[in-house]
Formats: sequence, structure tokens, C-alpha cells
Amino acid sequence: MFKLFITALFIFMGCKSYAATITIHDQNQQPLANAVVWLTATDHTLQTLPVSSLFTMTQKDRQFTPHVLVVPQNAQVEFPNADSIMHHVYSFSNAKSFELKLYREQPQAPIRFEQTGVVELGCNIHDWMLGYIVVVDSPFYGITNTQGQIALTPQHGEYELNVWHEGFSDISQTESKTIALGSAAVVYQIKQVIVPRITIGVDEFDDYE
Amino acid sequence: MTMNKVSLAFILLGLAFSFNALAQVKGLLQLTAVNGDPQLSWQEGGVGLYRYDSDNDGIVLSQGLIDFRVDLSTNWSAHGVVNAYQDPQASLGFSQAYFQYQPLTSSKYKWHVRAGGFYPLLSLENPDMGWISPYNYTNSAINSWIGEEVRTVGVEATIKRPGRSFNSKHSFAFVGATFKGNDPAGTLLAWRGFAMHDRQTTFNEAVAFAPVASLNTSQLQHQANQVLPFEEVDGRFGYYGGIHWDYLKKSQFRFYYYDNNGDPAALNYSTGQYAWDTRFSSVAWLYKFTAQTRLIVQAMSGNTAMGESRGVDNDFYSHFILLSHKKAAHRLSIRYDYFEVTDKDDWTFDPNASHGEGITATLRYQLSPQWQLGIEGSALHSQADNREAMGIARKLSQQQLSLNVQWRY
Repeated sequence: MFKLFITALFIFMGCKSYAATITIHDQNQQPLANAVVWLTATDHTLQTLPVSSLFTMTQKDRQFTPHVLVVPQNAQVEFPNADSIMHHVYSFSNAKSFELKLYREQPQAPIRFEQTGVVELGCNIHDWMLGYIVVVDSPFYGITNTQGQIALTPQHGEYELNVWHEGFSDISQTESKTIALGSAAVVYQIKQVIVPRITIGVDEFDDYE
Repeated sequence: MTMNKVSLAFILLGLAFSFNALAQVKGLLQLTAVNGDPQLSWQEGGVGLYRYDSDNDGIVLSQGLIDFRVDLSTNWSAHGVVNAYQDPQASLGFSQAYFQYQPLTSSKYKWHVRAGGFYPLLSLENPDMGWISPYNYTNSAINSWIGEEVRTVGVEATIKRPGRSFNSKHSFAFVGATFKGNDPAGTLLAWRGFAMHDRQTTFNEAVAFAPVASLNTSQLQHQANQVLPFEEVDGRFGYYGGIHWDYLKKSQFRFYYYDNNGDPAALNYSTGQYAWDTRFSSVAWLYKFTAQTRLIVQAMSGNTAMGESRGVDNDFYSHFILLSHKKAAHRLSIRYDYFEVTDKDDWTFDPNASHGEGITATLRYQLSPQWQLGIEGSALHSQADNREAMGIARKLSQQQLSLNVQWRY
């Protein structure tokens, strides 16, 4: 009975997705938080991109919220303005170039991100505002926590592990490595020095410029 | 007066709602219950340095404004501030009206141009809508004067080096402008001295001052007993330049040099306005100790002169120190002001020297995003050498107490 149970369990684990914990380290072997991680299956039958999904990149208190948003390819993103002042959101990134003049209470149609890559967001009125949308060709993605960890739930198999961080010297580039999921915990060490991004905290009276 | 107040409010509201669909429109109404000083305000031809005097005791509409922005195209926008006042008499006018060209560029450097009538952004005390202060209701002596006598009608270009683009904690902006008008700036400093108030002058408005005895002399007989601060008198261009330096947004520093390049010999006989050769340097610094507590200091030093032989020639200087602390919905702001005008000319019949200091404490309570309540007490003492000839004591001590309710949208 016990054997049967174990066998059933193995069969169950073999064909179902499981939680893979991936840890990202920087060059000093320290956990790297806020790294974007995604897995692309070598065998594309192991992954299907969500057909239509709507994501949100809010402007609140004169900042982009969240600071980094990961979306699957072809996702639509809306840009609600929660501030009482106007924003002029733009991107000149190769992955998506656009601009949006955003007034409160005047929502615009969401924007579709067809190409994979990193989209750097700015505001032409508040030039300290900085945000990123990372567009990935995978349903298995996330952002590492303060322990540098992220739990993803793909099926067993061979994957390309992709990592991006805003501290990369060239933010349009990613690092990647082929890994086999199903055995030990995955640890990946970044190959470059992470340059911390300056964040400029503001309040409601800092617009006067 | 009540009817005027009501009709002004309706005009403001009507304008606001008709614009709202096309533009970003913000508005503010502020009612003040004031307990003024017995000394008559300069607005009423007195020598009092506060906006109100005991004749105003009761409820007044201290601020009524609409601050709007209309986008004309991707890069062009129109900006304006309409102010309604009931003192010294009911009026409606623009205090700012300009076009802005701000192209969206992929360059790391950003730039924009303003053309029209606007403030040089030399102060850190007045970042709220319509150039009002979120700290004290009564502005510092420096910014009271900027609000009443300094406005440029011209073109201003700004180039910014945002820290964000260079992943640097330091951001810089370089500002240069040339303008017409603003020739009579300095008149109030000569014959009234600095004052402390939040009454901004709108375009084409005149500001009164006390009937100074020296204006009855042959040398000054053409000078009107009021100033039209933004008038063009000499046909010459003025200019200013400024630099902004921010460390993150924790420390904000601004330096400006302003010169209206006035020809002191020029006089408009019909309006009684001279061109004053007025130039000053202003340095302002804001520092946030924490997200709650900040320090704002500003100092200004300059010179202003009028008449063919610079018969009226004065240096002026002022500084203030403002501490503001915010805790939850409360904000407490305390400010000390020092101000002085030094008479440099040899026209002894026209003494212009004055000096004084003031302390202002304000407590505001944010009831909701729309409603704010506040109480303010202010005291100042001042000395002006031209008061005796008007039969008024050279030295004055004044107090002003106010309760304020502000509504914004």
C-alpha cells in the first residue's frame, strides 16, 4: 500500500507542475532582490502563453507603481493615473515606443506589448519618474524577494532560465542559462556587477520646477 | 460685498466646470476670518504691512483661484491662473498666463520654453497651485514682494539634466529668460518697504501705497501714488538667469540673478510710472530632515533706482527661515523674516530707509483631500523713515490673527 502510494506520488509529480525555487545571487554570492526571472521551455509544448490578460501600471504619488512589471508577450497594460495632476508617460525602448498623456478621470485604452524585451518608462513632466515593463515569452515569471528567491511552477523539463535586473549595465540585455528542472534547487549567479539605481523620493510639493 | 463674493465664486466655478472636459483645471477657494491690526493696510493707503487691518475684521475671500493647463498639441500647452480678490476692491484677473513648449525627446537632457507672463521659479515657498504657499498663509517678505511686483512677460528657456537619466543623485536645471515690462518693480520697496501677505498682483492691476510726503516735491511730482508693477516704460529688455540643483529631492537649491535693465530716466507721464533699474540675487534652499520635517531658507539682496540722476537709489535685503513639520493630517509651519531697505541717494527730502522683522506660525489641518482648516498668528515690527512726515510713528508693531478654511478640487 505504501509502495503504491509512493509510486502514485511520483507519477503525480512527474506530470504535474511543481514549485521550483530559484535563487539569484550577485557576484558577491549575496541574494539579489528585485531580479526579474522567467523560464522559457526548450520544448514549447510545455508552456502556453495566456491568451489575453490585462495588467496595470499605475502612477501614484508621482511614481510608477509597481516599479517593475513583468508581463507575458501580447499582454495589455493599462496606465491609470491616481494622482490629481497630469502625467505624460513615454517610452523610447525598442521593445515598445509610445507616449500617453494621462489625465485623472480620463482613462485611455490599454497598450498591447507585442514584442519581448525591456520597456523603460518615463514621464515628460516629472523627470524623476522611472519604471519598467519586462515583456517575456513565458507564463513562468516573477520577481525575486529580499532573499533573492522566486518560486515558479513549471513542469519538469529543460528550460532557459532568464534573468534581468534594472542594475544591469545595458538594461536591454538579459542573462540566461539552460537548466533542467526537476532535481535540486536552482541557484544562478549574475555575471555582471549590479549598479544600484538611484530612486528619487518625492512629495506633493516637488513638482515646482 | 457679500453679493460680490458670491458672484465671484460662481464665476470661478462656472469657468472651472466648462474647462474641465478639455483640460486639467484645479481650483481653490479660501475664506478667512481675520482679526487685523488697527494700522491701515498699504492696500488702503496706510502704512500697515499686513494685507488686512481692523476694517477687514470678519470673513473675507482671501484666495479664489483657478489654475489651468490646456494641451494644444503633444508639445504645446497653455497655462493660466485666474485670481479673484475682494481686497482692496472686488477684482478678477490673471496672475499668470503663458504657453509652454516641452518637446518629448529621447535625449537624456530635457528642455522646455515658456512664453507669456509668469513667475521666475526662484522661490521654494510657493509650490502649491496658483503660486500659493502650503506652509504659512502669510508669505515671507521676499515672496510677498515677488508676488506683488515681480512678474515677467517674456520668454524663458530651461535645460534640465535630470539625475534619473544619468543614474545620479544630482539633478540640475539651467534657466535663462528675457522679458519686457516689470519696469516699476522696486517702487513699493522705496516708499512702503517690504510687507508680509499673500495678495498677488494680477496683470494690469495697480497697487496703492501710503501718501508719502516726498511725492509732493517737484522732483517726484510725476510719480503716481500707486504702482503698476508690470508696465513697460523704457522699451528695454530685461533678463534673468537661474540654476536649480537638487540632491535627490532631499535638498533643493536655487540661485537666480534678475535684472529688469530699467532705464531710470524713463517715465510714463500718463500713468505716473518710472522705470526702475532693479536687480537682485536670490538664493533659496529646501532641506528635508525627514519626510515630515523640512527647512526652507531664502535670502535676497538687490538694488533699485529711479530718476535721471538716480535720485531714488536703494539697496534692499531680506531673508527668512521656515521650519515645517507634518504629522498625519497636521502641518505646523513657523517662519522668521528679516527685511531692510537702505537709502543710498542724497535726496534727504525722500527718506526710503526701512527695516523690520516678523514671526509667523501656522497650523493646518487636512480634513479631507478637498477641505483644509488652519489658524495663523503673525507679528511684525518695522521702522520706516518716511512715516514721520505723514504724522505716523516711525516704529510700528503689528499683529494679525486668522482662521482659514480652504476648499480645492
